[in-house]
Amino acid sequence: MSYDDVEIEDMEWNEELGAFTYPCPCGDLFQITKEELKLGEEIARCPSCSLYITVIYNMDDFNDSNNTNNKGGLQPPISVA
Amino acid sequence: MWCWGAGTDGQLALANPQDQHLPQPLPSLPPISQLACGGAHVIALTKPPNKPPQILTWGRGATGQLGHAHLLNSPSPTPLPLHSSAITISRVAAGWNHSAFLSHSGAVFTCGDGSFGQLGHGDFQSHSRPLQISSFGDKFAAHIACGMRHSLVLFRGGMRNSALACFSLSELGCCSVYGFGSGKRGQLGVSKDKVRGLFNVPQLTLGLDGLDATAVFANGDHSAVLTVDGHLYTWGRGFNGASDANLPRLLPSRLKFTQVALGWNHALLLTDEGEVYMLGGDRHGMLTDPQKPTLEQSSSIQSSPCQASSSNASESELERVPGLIGRKVVNIAAGAEHSALVTENGEVMTWGWGEHGQLGLGNTEDQRNPQVVEFGNKVDKYHNHYRVFCGSGFTFAVK
Repeated sequence: MSYDDVEIEDMEWNEELGAFTYPCPCGDLFQITKEELKLGEEIARCPSCSLYITVIYNMDDFNDSNNTNNKGGLQPPISVA
Repeated sequence: MWCWGAGTDGQLALANPQDQHLPQPLPSLPPISQLACGGAHVIALTKPPNKPPQILTWGRGATGQLGHAHLLNSPSPTPLPLHSSAITISRVAAGWNHSAFLSHSGAVFTCGDGSFGQLGHGDFQSHSRPLQISSFGDKFAAHIACGMRHSLVLFRGGMRNSALACFSLSELGCCSVYGFGSGKRGQLGVSKDKVRGLFNVPQLTLGLDGLDATAVFANGDHSAVLTVDGHLYTWGRGFNGASDANLPRLLPSRLKFTQVALGWNHALLLTDEGEVYMLGGDRHGMLTDPQKPTLEQSSSIQSSPCQASSSNASESELERVPGLIGRKVVNIAAGAEHSALVTENGEVMTWGWGEHGQLGLGNTEDQRNPQVVEFGNKVDKYHNHYRVFCGSGFTFAVK
């Protein structure tokens, strides 16, 4: 069973891992690559444990034509302070 | 001092960074007054005999959360040099990848991951050395807490420049809580409506006017404050699939709470009678056992849109932790998905998710009910109680 549902905008792009990530309760990171997202994969797995999350996203955002600047959680944050 | 659970980032302070399913002794650390355990790092506030308090940090350091001006993991507890020897730290807090320090004089310092504004410095930079939050000015901070991507600071009145000796701890109505970082799940309590933005400057949490608060708590996307008379207010991510609370809500209960521990999906509450209650315990101890039928039920409830209408906190969502009949509890702690407690008789008990050995029971199984942790044969049970501290997937027991 999926541990949680997480919107892609709440995930962080990790250059080193080449994946979008989200904190896993074990201390490691749930991970999913752009290639997986392009293929319609919606499960992000943690390499250290059995848990996984369901990623909520629009597949169109990861088509080749417009994905070059998509950085998910690293988009310029909106400060409303 | 003993530790167990997830250890691959060095968070157990052992020479061999790997998971430990049984308690491992940690020798040669000075006496500990407080531990703060984050996603995979630990901050220890020590009280060496006849010396001023010292801070040690260890574990994951990739975003500067250890405060040592580098971005490396370190399994060795290392003293944290502060900017000035005049600064004495009285409390520490650890989030997923960030850290906060409260000084005796009421100043707040933060370091680590700042990409959600959770350091409170007015930007989204990460810092690898503790930096004072300047926007609080001379206000005297009384307590701090760090969640996954947010931070909370409690003020109880008083100013830093006049505070040291005569600051009154009972000024009613002076309390305020400030939050910063991600507020998407309502965990900052800044608006009755859902907010999408990140807040990199501390914002006043609404709806707490007139409260006499003693402490703030944060973990995951949850926030809470405990009042002097034992009432609990919570805000942020809803428990058991309920909708998020954008503003603080009083937990309706006749019980008087003395300690609070938040996880990512649950809260533990200790009463003045030594009883432990839990919020959000539906899946606690069931994460890796798909055989249990209630897991399916829990899943269908969570995805049902009509659940949102039953979001009002009620006493019914507060459940007594099972299996503790005849035991009086004196201390509680919560990891992301596991729990720990200490009984009056000195027993340490754990339950919840166990995949990384974070329950210390010698296996990786989940537990629905608290189980006694064995420390070998040299434990003087009836002297000097342990205190327990939990990080996301690991646990410390400290005398």
